[in-house]
Amino acid sequence: MLAKKMVRDIKNHKIQFISIFLMAFLGVYVFVGFGAESFGFEETANQYYGETNLADGWIYTSNLDKDFVDKVNDLSLTKDLERQLVVNSIADFKNDPDITLHFLEDDDISKFYLIKGDEFDLSDGDGVWLDIRFAEAKNLTVGDDITFELNGVEITKEIRGLGYSPEHLYQTSDSSMIPDYDKMGFAYMSHKAFPLGEIPYNVLLVKYDGDSASYEKQLDNDLGRDYSSFLPRAQHPSFAEFQDETDQHKMMTDVIPVIFIVIAMLTLLTTMTRIINAQRTQIGVLKALGFKNRTIMFHYISYGFWMVLAGGILGFVLGPLTLPPIMFEEMADLYSIPYWLTGFDMSFVIVTVLMVVLAALVSYLACRNIVNESPSSAIRPKAPKITTFGFLEKFGIWNKFSFNVRWNYRDAKRNKFRALMGIVGVLACTLIIVASFGCMDGFDEMKDWAYGDINHYSSKLVLEDNATASQIDYVVGEVDGEKLMESAIEIKANDVKKSGVVTVLDDNNLYTPTDDEKNPIEIKDSEISLSKKMSQLLDVEVGDTVKWHIMGSDKWVSTKIDRIHSDPNSQGIIVTKEKLDDLGLDYTTTSIISSKDVTENYTGVKTIFSMDSLTDSWDTMMESSMSIIYMLAGFAALLSVIVLYNLGLLSFTEIKREFATLKVLGFKSSHLRKLLLTQNLWFTTIGFIIGVPLGREVLQYLWGTMGDSFYLNAHISLKTIIITFLIVYVVSILVNLMFSGKIKRLDMVESLKDNE
Amino acid sequence: MSTIIEFKNVNKEYKSGDHILKAMDNVNFTIDEGEFVVILGPSGAGKSTLLNLLGGLDSVTSGQIIVNGQNVESFNDNQLTEYRAKNVGFIFQFYNLIPNLTSLENVELMKDIVDVDINGLDVLDSVGLKDHASQFPAQLSGGEQQRVSIARAVAKQPTMLLCDEPTGALDSKTGVLILNLLQDMSNNKNTTVVIVTHNAILAEAADKVIRIKNGQIESIVINENPKKVTDLEW
Ligand SMILES: Nc1ncnc2c1ncn2[C@@H]1O[C@H](COP(=O)(O)OP(=O)(O)OP(=O)(O)O)[C@@H](O)[C@H]1O
Ligand SMILES: [Mg+2]
Repeated sequence: MLAKKMVRDIKNHKIQFISIFLMAFLGVYVFVGFGAESFGFEETANQYYGETNLADGWIYTSNLDKDFVDKVNDLSLTKDLERQLVVNSIADFKNDPDITLHFLEDDDISKFYLIKGDEFDLSDGDGVWLDIRFAEAKNLTVGDDITFELNGVEITKEIRGLGYSPEHLYQTSDSSMIPDYDKMGFAYMSHKAFPLGEIPYNVLLVKYDGDSASYEKQLDNDLGRDYSSFLPRAQHPSFAEFQDETDQHKMMTDVIPVIFIVIAMLTLLTTMTRIINAQRTQIGVLKALGFKNRTIMFHYISYGFWMVLAGGILGFVLGPLTLPPIMFEEMADLYSIPYWLTGFDMSFVIVTVLMVVLAALVSYLACRNIVNESPSSAIRPKAPKITTFGFLEKFGIWNKFSFNVRWNYRDAKRNKFRALMGIVGVLACTLIIVASFGCMDGFDEMKDWAYGDINHYSSKLVLEDNATASQIDYVVGEVDGEKLMESAIEIKANDVKKSGVVTVLDDNNLYTPTDDEKNPIEIKDSEISLSKKMSQLLDVEVGDTVKWHIMGSDKWVSTKIDRIHSDPNSQGIIVTKEKLDDLGLDYTTTSIISSKDVTENYTGVKTIFSMDSLTDSWDTMMESSMSIIYMLAGFAALLSVIVLYNLGLLSFTEIKREFATLKVLGFKSSHLRKLLLTQNLWFTTIGFIIGVPLGREVLQYLWGTMGDSFYLNAHISLKTIIITFLIVYVVSILVNLMFSGKIKRLDMVESLKDNE
Repeated sequence: MSTIIEFKNVNKEYKSGDHILKAMDNVNFTIDEGEFVVILGPSGAGKSTLLNLLGGLDSVTSGQIIVNGQNVESFNDNQLTEYRAKNVGFIFQFYNLIPNLTSLENVELMKDIVDVDINGLDVLDSVGLKDHASQFPAQLSGGEQQRVSIARAVAKQPTMLLCDEPTGALDSKTGVLILNLLQDMSNNKNTTVVIVTHNAILAEAADKVIRIKNGQIESIVINENPKKVTDLEW
């Protein structure tokens, strides 16, 4: 019989139970789904790097002879090592794609991951193992021939296999800032395939014990030979890029889904308590009829339990099944990875179980109180909570307030928890929407800053490494250009080492450093300027000293920071050419910038970027982040509709009798609707006002997770505030409209008859 | 005295499943202005139904209810609301005060719906509750709550007061107090008062007694010399 009652109760509270189900579902779905995705990133990387035995570090030196190898091998921390010659080449296609060639001495570290064709073979001097993404873009397959040009020499090899490389998970080249598989790729060959005499290996891949710092120390102290640089995994561009992406996803999928779970749980708790409290007299009656306490409790606990369990399980199953594939597809454009794993973490199970247990516990606590009352008192409606005069009533103006204001004020005061939930629901929604739109604003802001305020040329001509001074001067004259040097550097301070860029100015007008407010600043000939983000990363300020060197050179210099500039996407040092000379470092022009739209091919110029292509690349790069943001914002809106509707329903059930009375007294339906709307708008307004600044905080936090090279102060634009305001208020008013019909149809006779 | 309420062949049916229950079966009667009317009948007879129809809380299946010359059953939603606001003062067994508002505020609440100049304190004074003006319903005794609800009902100066077992939840002494108040309204303010009760003794105090049974009028008796409520033997 009780089972029948349960089914009928659930039917009567259909919407409420559906929303309990939906909240449990959505909370778990988002939490586990995004969790599976970000943990999946990590697991994918771990497994892939493990399978291919990715190097722990790369040692670069100009003279990589046998003696050097032996000396490194003698270091106590070295486990394994092998040499490679890694060189840039141009494949024989119309668009001159950049192909990184790896000539291998051995095949144990950073192995080629084969998808199609034959396994890599060291004894095969005629074959090449090619980047599968590039092959797909160029319609190449196993058995085809491909020709590369390196340093003026052409070599043609037959494609033996297609696949991936753990060192080229994220690929960019000088001609493309974002992965464009039509324009770049990599290829693996045996050392036997090297065309010109003895092979000049230039990189030593190492596997070692312990962390990179202690290994680097050993290299510096015990090697007994000079080397030009050591690159630990964490600084390897491909590894670091993917690591940053993983971290970023983890942060995003840590913060926001947790908000989801918390909101879902809180609303669940309120709803369960309310439903059970509404059944108070029934519980009394069941007791009076002689039902055992245990039976009654079990009955009420099973209510929410089944719904939450069903919602939780569905979310737990559907989340990992549906969300990661969408994200992975998005990511596949940026990263060359042979497979994607969906991750798993114990927290998924814990949170789901916690949710179900909590729902049961709340039901238990709520009905325990009632069950422990004597049936005679439980049968009588609970004495209403006494309202007391509050702060506001003490003032004379209280009496000037309309009934609407007074009623709502007191109602909120008597139902503090319900009021709080309403506010928190709106707050969470506001916060997520503000953060999402703020993100989009921020991407645009960074773009305008980087490619408007700082770099304001029309074309950027990237020079060949071996371009001669006369070639450069000729091009500068032709395009009316300015010379710029941008080189990768490593900076150290306070025991922190970071990679960055040194930008060397040579009376530039088309490149303007800016301060934190995006205002132009002038860097004097004697000055060294450090970017704001870098100063934060290194924990230094003006007056402190940093040590740095240009990648590829062994000469470290120590310099005092004279100035801090701000740059959204390039972190490091800005100096003038004169200062660079003073420091005794070599000046090499790396690019020429011009206010003209240059399309002509000059000798010595590798690639020409137009401003449009730069901003397009930027947009593409931001797209993957955007997709997460869009999805989260969508779920947030959905969640807030459910939460607000549910709370509206709760308060409506509670004040039904009062409304019926007011209706009998002659209040118009529209008047009552206004009463409910007022309350809703109050909660919405409070939640909105608190939500906006909190949203800024969340945004600031998200910017921090973007990676070391990005810098932006979180701003909330007026547009974002207005859009958020509209969304939040429209949702709130829509939810209210759903109740206006209910108020109109409210059956006075019936509502007054049931005495609860 | 003029007729203010008239029921003409009123029928009210409730459908539950395939069987039809006649809660009002061809009911006819009239009530004059300022009359103190008592409606008696066994449980389930249809007393509350009658009152709800008269108060515009529910609509008839067929027949006419004429109040002040107007056909109540022909009103649309808005007109019904206005009718309730202007003509009807309801008093319930369980008071139904707004728990969030003080006694005074419950009374002055009526300013929001009718355009009359209400001095809440005076009205509360008339039911002897001036000193309890700033208390909330939960802080009042049952009798006091019922008096607030009467104050609330009379505050808007309705044509009629409809009371469904107004003393049902009170002890007899407090009940007499309430009924006396209602009789005063009828005698001194010329307000029409209709009271539904189980207590047959009250019949002696009524100007008119309507007895119903199974949804039908059993008898209508007019008392030429009604007693005062306080003189009845309870
Ligand atoms: N909503 C409804 N649906 C079906 N039947 C109803 C409904 N409301 C009342 N009834 C029926 O109408 C009849 C009259 O009910 P009513 O409430 O008017 O009785 P009453 O005379 O007020 O009784 P009591 O003295 O017990 O309050 C009863 O038989 C009842 O079952
Ligand atoms: Mg009744």
